[in-house]
Amino acid sequence: MDYTMEDTQNSAPETREATKLSGAGQRGDTQSVTKRLQAELMQLMMAPSPGISAFPDADGNLLSWTGTITGPTETPYEGLTLKLSFAFPNNYPYSPPTVLFKTPIYHPNVDFSGRICLDILKDKWSAVYNVQSVLLSLQSLLGEPNNASPLNAQAAELWDSDQEEFKKHVLARHRDVDDE
Amino acid sequence: MISSVPLNASRRRVFGSVFSPAPLQARPTSAPGSDYDQTQLASFQSTSSTVKTGSFASPQQERFAEGPHDRESWDQAWSAATAFLAVPNQGFAPIYDARETDGSEALKDWNRLSPPSKETAEALSYLTAAGQQGSTAYGATSSKSLIDWYGDEIRRHFLANLRSGLYELLKTLEKEGLLRIIVDCLQLARRIYLAPVVHYLLPLLQTPERGRVLTQLQRGFHTVVSHSLPWSKISPLLGGELAQDALIILGIDTLLEDAEGNEGEGSQDEMEVDRQYSVSYEHWKNESAETRARMMTEGEDERVTIARDRLLAFLNGLQQVGLGGDKAQKVFASVMNIMMTEFVRAAYTGQWEAPTSVPQHLRHWIENVFARLAVQVLAIIHTPQTGNQSSSPLDVSFGDVEKWQEMGIARLGALRTSELFDVIVEWPASSGAVEDLRHFTTHPAARAHVTQSFITILNQRLLHPGASTVEILQVYISIIRAFHLLDPKGVLLDRIARPIRRYLRDRDDTIKVIVSGLLAEPAVAGTKPPSYANETLVELSTELSKAHQLSMENNTSELDWDDMNWMPDPVDAAPDYRKSKSSDVIDSVISLFDSKETFVKELQTLLSDRLLQKREKYDQEISVLELLKVRFGDSALQACEVMLRDISDSHRVNIAIRKDQGLIQPPARINKNKRPPSPPIPDIHAKILSRFFWPEIQDQEFKIPDEVASLQRRYAAGFEALKASRKLTWRNGLGQVLVELQLSDRDFSEEVTTWQATVIHAFHSDYDEPTSRNVSSLSAQLEMTPSLVRSASLFWVSKRILTESSRDEFSVLESLPSEDEDNDFGVVGADPADADTQAGDVSNAAAAAEAAAAAAAKESADAAAMEKMNLYWQFIVGMLTNQGAMPLARVVMMLKIVVPGGFPFSNEELREFLAGMVAKGKLEIVSGGNYKIVL
Repeated sequence: MDYTMEDTQNSAPETREATKLSGAGQRGDTQSVTKRLQAELMQLMMAPSPGISAFPDADGNLLSWTGTITGPTETPYEGLTLKLSFAFPNNYPYSPPTVLFKTPIYHPNVDFSGRICLDILKDKWSAVYNVQSVLLSLQSLLGEPNNASPLNAQAAELWDSDQEEFKKHVLARHRDVDDE
Repeated sequence: MISSVPLNASRRRVFGSVFSPAPLQARPTSAPGSDYDQTQLASFQSTSSTVKTGSFASPQQERFAEGPHDRESWDQAWSAATAFLAVPNQGFAPIYDARETDGSEALKDWNRLSPPSKETAEALSYLTAAGQQGSTAYGATSSKSLIDWYGDEIRRHFLANLRSGLYELLKTLEKEGLLRIIVDCLQLARRIYLAPVVHYLLPLLQTPERGRVLTQLQRGFHTVVSHSLPWSKISPLLGGELAQDALIILGIDTLLEDAEGNEGEGSQDEMEVDRQYSVSYEHWKNESAETRARMMTEGEDERVTIARDRLLAFLNGLQQVGLGGDKAQKVFASVMNIMMTEFVRAAYTGQWEAPTSVPQHLRHWIENVFARLAVQVLAIIHTPQTGNQSSSPLDVSFGDVEKWQEMGIARLGALRTSELFDVIVEWPASSGAVEDLRHFTTHPAARAHVTQSFITILNQRLLHPGASTVEILQVYISIIRAFHLLDPKGVLLDRIARPIRRYLRDRDDTIKVIVSGLLAEPAVAGTKPPSYANETLVELSTELSKAHQLSMENNTSELDWDDMNWMPDPVDAAPDYRKSKSSDVIDSVISLFDSKETFVKELQTLLSDRLLQKREKYDQEISVLELLKVRFGDSALQACEVMLRDISDSHRVNIAIRKDQGLIQPPARINKNKRPPSPPIPDIHAKILSRFFWPEIQDQEFKIPDEVASLQRRYAAGFEALKASRKLTWRNGLGQVLVELQLSDRDFSEEVTTWQATVIHAFHSDYDEPTSRNVSSLSAQLEMTPSLVRSASLFWVSKRILTESSRDEFSVLESLPSEDEDNDFGVVGADPADADTQAGDVSNAAAAAEAAAAAAAKESADAAAMEKMNLYWQFIVGMLTNQGAMPLARVVMMLKIVVPGGFPFSNEELREFLAGMVAKGKLEIVSGGNYKIVL
């Protein structure tokens, strides 16, 4: 019920936005993307939020970043460091970035390749979101998985039935990705 | 003589009776000679010798065939004639000794002038007569054979007697005049050889025969001479001789003397002579047109005439002995080639005055002096084929002269090209040189040469770390102007400017120099000491106002279809060449940088410095800003505009607030102005700056004296009343204070900085006791950095207000140390010896104060830098957290990419900073020198 409401509310402006702004993307205006990303980076650096951080990769074009989330306290992920990769499309921020977990993670909404099921990264994306908000959403997703649409059904089931067992799975799956 | 011919026949019989028929006696004298000759000559003239042998043999055969009588008389005549004609083998020495006489003595010695005895004369006429009677078969050949024989005799004699001697001469080390000696010797030898022929043999021949015979003998002589003397040795000698005289004739030697400044002939009248005949450009250009025309053609200098005669006589000799001709012409040509270069160099080096007539002068010189010598010389050393001198055609045509003139201009161009850098440094006093160059840069190759060589010179002499940016910019401006004159299209400039612009972009202080140049006051510039003028480009500000007017005038573009003077871009223009504004100095300088932003930023910084100075008017800044707005547009300079407005507004606001708050005391002064030692309340003025629009100003924070602080509060209250919703933040570090100090024996009044005033205020006491303070307590009291306190104290030491009694302990110098002994106010630690040194130390103290101030400034700058570094620290943390450990170089690289505005620190500075972080335990260094964040 709620979801459909939201859908109708959000989808209409989004499609309009997409058509209007795809032109901007087609122009291949990477400069404006770079500018935007630079501004986001600056914002992240100037006002860092605890537990999350992100930085561009060394390839120099700012279109791919690496993010880091520290597992929130009082969740099965407490104390773990989780890395993510961000790939920004050329028409960012009018299209969402592709976000993947690089660190192997056991989570109801993340599959074993690290793909994430999160509405704001898909159809609920809006240009007002940014790297910081994505990271914050993911951080909260760690503590509150959306078990209604799981990618990892076993994890979703386990989350609801046996937290202890779930945490064991999390720790078993977790592996720190090597620093380069 | 012809009358004697019929007699000859009758006398044959007489000969026969008188002379015993002993032809074989005479024959050997000639035969071995000729044999010897042939072997010698075989190497180079085998054909001619065989022909000759043939001619010898055949007449004898015929003679034998015809009958003994004729043959006998012939033989007798032959032996007499050959005995007479034979050249005595006296070796080389007599000729060498006699070379400088007129030769008559030598000819006598050599028995060449004594008339032949009667019999000999008859024998000669018999033989020649036989030769002239063409019908007589053997006669014709016999006459010829006598000449042939004599030719062989010359050869033999030359090779036997002279050759080795000449060879020795050539080997001598003394080259000076050697060729002249050789030529003299050869000429004498020639006379010796030819005298009897000319005197006694030729008259016997018929006129048409004479020339032929003489030519034949001469040619034989020439051949043997050129064979014996290797040309490779002769040509440098000839070149030296030619050069020596040509230097004088062409007037190059006087030019060189003039250049060296020592006029060999210093007396007055000879100076007059010089005036009449001179090839010097300096003399020439000062004369009227008619005098100019006459200057090189008339009134030739005596020296030149002598040299010319000498040279021509020498060349005559050369030609006579067979050393002239083609080869000599080649040598002459190469000498003249050098001469032209030499002349251009000697005459025009450094002659850069503006209305130039150098090309005219050069053309004139080539036509009247250079070509004249060439004509004269070539008339003498013509090629032998043309034979008679008088009949030879003019060797030099007017076309040749024109060609030489073109060459001369090219040489001039080469000279100017090599001088170009100096010319440009001297600009605008040297514009004449550039005009000269214009004559040269008419075709693409020359233009390419000019630009290429100039760029090379630039790289060597200008674009290196030793040259200051001001210098480079100065030269660049001169280059722009000079090349605009040289090539109004700007193609050359476009090419030259590229390396300079590229280089200037790499210099850190380029913008600063340009901006301060723009803001410099042209009016004041003249009165500034040169050392200061060298540091700023005052020219730029002059140019700015000038260029503005210019740009108003001609606003033509490529799209102006009505432009009747339109010309296509030159063929050698670069593809991205833009014609427009290439002559506009300001535009060229400003466009050095890709964006206006850097420029505007620098302008802001400098402007803020200047606006904060205590001054009544800021007309210069306002006018510069207006002019720059024309170029950059209003929006780019908005911040600067606001800054200026702030200043003018605060002037008004200042008056209003002071009136409202009752702060007015005569005399009113602009700016914050405090007098710490009250009773009288200090006078305060303020400038109100809109923080957002001003560049970041480095400030020293400290606690100001209470009196002033209370005044500030009142002032601030007044301001807030005037402008609601705005607040004042005081920048105590900026501003000036007029300090008046009353000491026991003197008064002191000077304008100082706020922090200096604050420090001296702390020494204030109402009692007559000298106050003493130390740096650390002052620092705590005033909340000022110790280094700044120390700097201020040292400043006062330099003013002889304070004295440093011990390290970091300062006390007031109530009375000057010279009166110290009589005075009860003992300055702490001022024993007599100390007092002596103290006086001398004032200057030291001043220097120390400056150094300390610099140190304090650096400290605050460092602090500011560290603050900035903290921002970068956030980036570094983010980077290392997400991307893992990385080495320093990579960190720097990443920072350069991701930090907006770039990363201003060097690797070393960052390393230092990171080392600090490692020490604090925030970072660690893992394998391979990688920095890793400590979580």
